[in-house]
Amino acid sequence: MALAFLLPALVILGAFVVWPMISAFRLSFTNAAGFGVEEWVGVDNYVKVFTDPEVQDAVVNTLQYTVLFTPTAVLAALLLALVVNNPRLPWRSFFRTTLFLPFVVSLAVAAFAWSYLIDPQVGLLSYWLGRMGLHLGNVLEDPSLAMPAVALVAVWKNFGFYFVIFLAGLQDIPASLYEAARVDGAGVLHRFRHVTLPLLSNTFAFVLVFAMIAALQAFDQIYVMTGGGPYGHTQTIVMEIYESGFRKLELGFASALSYVLLIATLLLSVVQFVFFGRREEDLA
Amino acid sequence: MTRTRLSAGAAVAILGLALAGCSNGSTPDSTDDTDTSAPSDDVVELVFWHGYTEADGDVLDQIVDEFNASQDAVHIDVEVNPWAVIDDTLLPALSAGDGPDIVAMPAERLPVYAARGAFAPLDDFYADAANNVGSLNPNAVEMVTVDGTIYGVPAGFVPLALYYNKALFDAAGITEPPADWDEWVEVARTLTVDEDGDGVPEQYGVVLPDHATVANGLWPSLFYGNGGDIVADGAAVVDSPENAETLAFWQRVVVEEAISPTGVDGIEADELFSAGKAAMHIGGPWMTFIAADAGIDLGIAPIPAGPKAQAASAIGISMAITAQDDPAVQAAAEQFFAYFFNDENSVAWSLGSGWPPLRTDVPADAIAENATVAALTPMAEFGRALLPGVVNTTDVLAAVDELTQRTLAGGDIEALLAEAQQKVEAALAD
Repeated sequence: MALAFLLPALVILGAFVVWPMISAFRLSFTNAAGFGVEEWVGVDNYVKVFTDPEVQDAVVNTLQYTVLFTPTAVLAALLLALVVNNPRLPWRSFFRTTLFLPFVVSLAVAAFAWSYLIDPQVGLLSYWLGRMGLHLGNVLEDPSLAMPAVALVAVWKNFGFYFVIFLAGLQDIPASLYEAARVDGAGVLHRFRHVTLPLLSNTFAFVLVFAMIAALQAFDQIYVMTGGGPYGHTQTIVMEIYESGFRKLELGFASALSYVLLIATLLLSVVQFVFFGRREEDLA
Repeated sequence: MTRTRLSAGAAVAILGLALAGCSNGSTPDSTDDTDTSAPSDDVVELVFWHGYTEADGDVLDQIVDEFNASQDAVHIDVEVNPWAVIDDTLLPALSAGDGPDIVAMPAERLPVYAARGAFAPLDDFYADAANNVGSLNPNAVEMVTVDGTIYGVPAGFVPLALYYNKALFDAAGITEPPADWDEWVEVARTLTVDEDGDGVPEQYGVVLPDHATVANGLWPSLFYGNGGDIVADGAAVVDSPENAETLAFWQRVVVEEAISPTGVDGIEADELFSAGKAAMHIGGPWMTFIAADAGIDLGIAPIPAGPKAQAASAIGISMAITAQDDPAVQAAAEQFFAYFFNDENSVAWSLGSGWPPLRTDVPADAIAENATVAALTPMAEFGRALLPGVVNTTDVLAAVDELTQRTLAGGDIEALLAEAQQKVEAALAD
C-alpha cells in the first residue's frame, strides 16, 4: 500500500533523476557527441578532468566565486534576519516581504537587469555613481571586477531565501532563554554569542551548505552577464560543463566533469555536517 | 542532512539530465510532423532551419517557396530561429532524432558538427557541374571543408570592411577613406576628439573591438595584413614575429594615443558607431541597416591594407545536410542547393541579403542596384575564411580574444603571444 502511494513520485524521480544520472555516468566513459557513433574511452574523460588546464582554471574561478558569494550572502541574510526579528521594528512584515522579493525573480532576468544597470554607456547605476564622482568603468570587462559583479548579483538574488530560513530559526529560539540570560546580566553581544548562535547552528549549517552548493553551481548570471569572460575570468565549472557539452559537443567529458562536481559537492556537505554535528554534541 | 543531500543530488542530476537527455547515440531520422500541406506520399518532406530573421529571411523563404512550386518531388518546410537558438537546439534535436534535414549556421560552427559526423559529405555533389557550385568563391567553399571533405554549401560569405561616418569625415576635411595602416592611424588621430582633455575622448577616430563577435574577424584581418596568421596547415602559428609587430603597432596607437576605446566587443562597437561616438568601424553588411536607423551617411571601403597584404577575414554562414541513412532525403536537399545557386537565385539572394554573390561569375551590373552589395563584391576576392577546417574554434577564438584584449589593456605582448600559442596548440590537439 505504501509503495502505491510512493509510486507516482518514484516514477518521476526515476525517469527524470535516476535514469539521467545512470545515463550520464555511462556517457562519462565514452566520447559521445549526442549523435552518431560513440566509443568507449575508459577513464580518459576523468583523467582529462584532473589534468586539463581549463578545468583547473574553472576550479580556481569557482572557488573564488564561492568565497565571494557564500559569506556575503549568508552574513547579509543573518544580519537582516536579526534586525527584522526585533519585535520593536515597525513594518516588519513589509520588510520581510521586500527582502524576500528578489528571490522570486529568475536569476537570468535579474542578470539582464543588472547588466543594463551597470552598463558603462547606458547604465542608470553607472550614470548616477558617475555623477557622484565614482566611475565604475566597464565592470563586466574588467578582469578584477567581473567576478565580484556576478557574485553580487547572485547575493542580491539569493540572500532573501537564506534570510527567511534564518528568521524561522530565530523564531524557534524560546524567549525564556533570552530572559534568563538577561536576568543573569548578559548584554546584547553575550546573548547573541551564547544563546542565539548555538541554537541557530543547525539553521546556520543548513544555510551554509545550501549557499555553498548554489555557489558551486554558479551558471545563469555568468552565462548572461559575461559568458565566462573577460578572457575566462568568470568561467566556472558549470560554465565549463556547458561549453564542453553544448559548444564543443564533448558530452562524455562534460558528464565526467559533472560527476566529479557531484562528488565534490557531496563531500563538502558531509564535512560541513560532521563539523556542525560535532559542535552541537559539544554544546550538549 | 538527507534533505540537503537530496537537493545537492537533485540539482546536479538536473544537469546530468540535460546532458543525458541529448544522447541516445542514435542517428537522426528524417522527420517532420509540422507540415499540414503535404501533397502526397511520394513527396520527400524536408525541414530547413535557418536564422535569417530580417528582410533577408523573407527573400530566402521566397526562394524556398518557389523551389516547392517548381517541382512535385520535394517539399521544404522552413523553421526560422535566431542563430544562437539554432546552435542551442541542434544538438538535442539531432540526438532525439528530430533534427532538421537542412540547417544553416554560422560558418565557424560547421566544423564542430561535421567532425562529429553530423553532416553528409558533399564531395560528389560538388563534382557534378549541373549543380551550379563550380563557380562558387573558393574561399567560401574552404569554410565548409573539414579535413579535405566538403560538408556543406556557403549561404553567405562577406569580408569585413571599413564602415565610416561620411559627415565626420567631411567635417574634418577628409575626402578619401584610408588605404593603408599608416593612413588609417593618421585619419583616426585627426578624428579623435578629447574636448575636455581628461584623456577620455568624446569622439574616437575608430572603434577596434578587442574581443568576441566582430573582433574574432578584425584581429585575424590585421594579422593577415602583416603576413601573420593564427592557424596554418593545421598548426598553431600565432606566436610569430609578424603578429608581435602587428600587436605592438596597434597597442601603441590605441593605448598611448587613445584613437580607439578598449574593452569593447562588436556589439558595443556598433553602438558607439551608431551614436556618432566613433568615426570608423569594422563590420559587415548589417552596418547599412544600423547606420540607416541612426541617420548616419555611411561610407564603405576595404579594410586598409597592412604592410604585407590586403586581406580581410570573412564572416560566413554555411548550410549542411544532416547525415542520415535516407539517400532520398540527401538527394532532395542537394536538389534544393542546386536550385539555390542557379543564376536567378544567386542574384536574388545577394540583393535580398545584402551580401556579395557567392558565385564569382555573377556579372557586376546584375547586383549594381544594391550599393552595399556593389561595394562589398569586389572585396570578396581577398576575403579569407576564418579558421577553415579548425574543429575546436571555441577554444582557439577564446585564446585570441584573451591575447587581443590583454594587448589593448597594455599587456606584455611577447608573454601573451607565447601563452596564446600554447592554448591554440592545445585546442588543435583536442
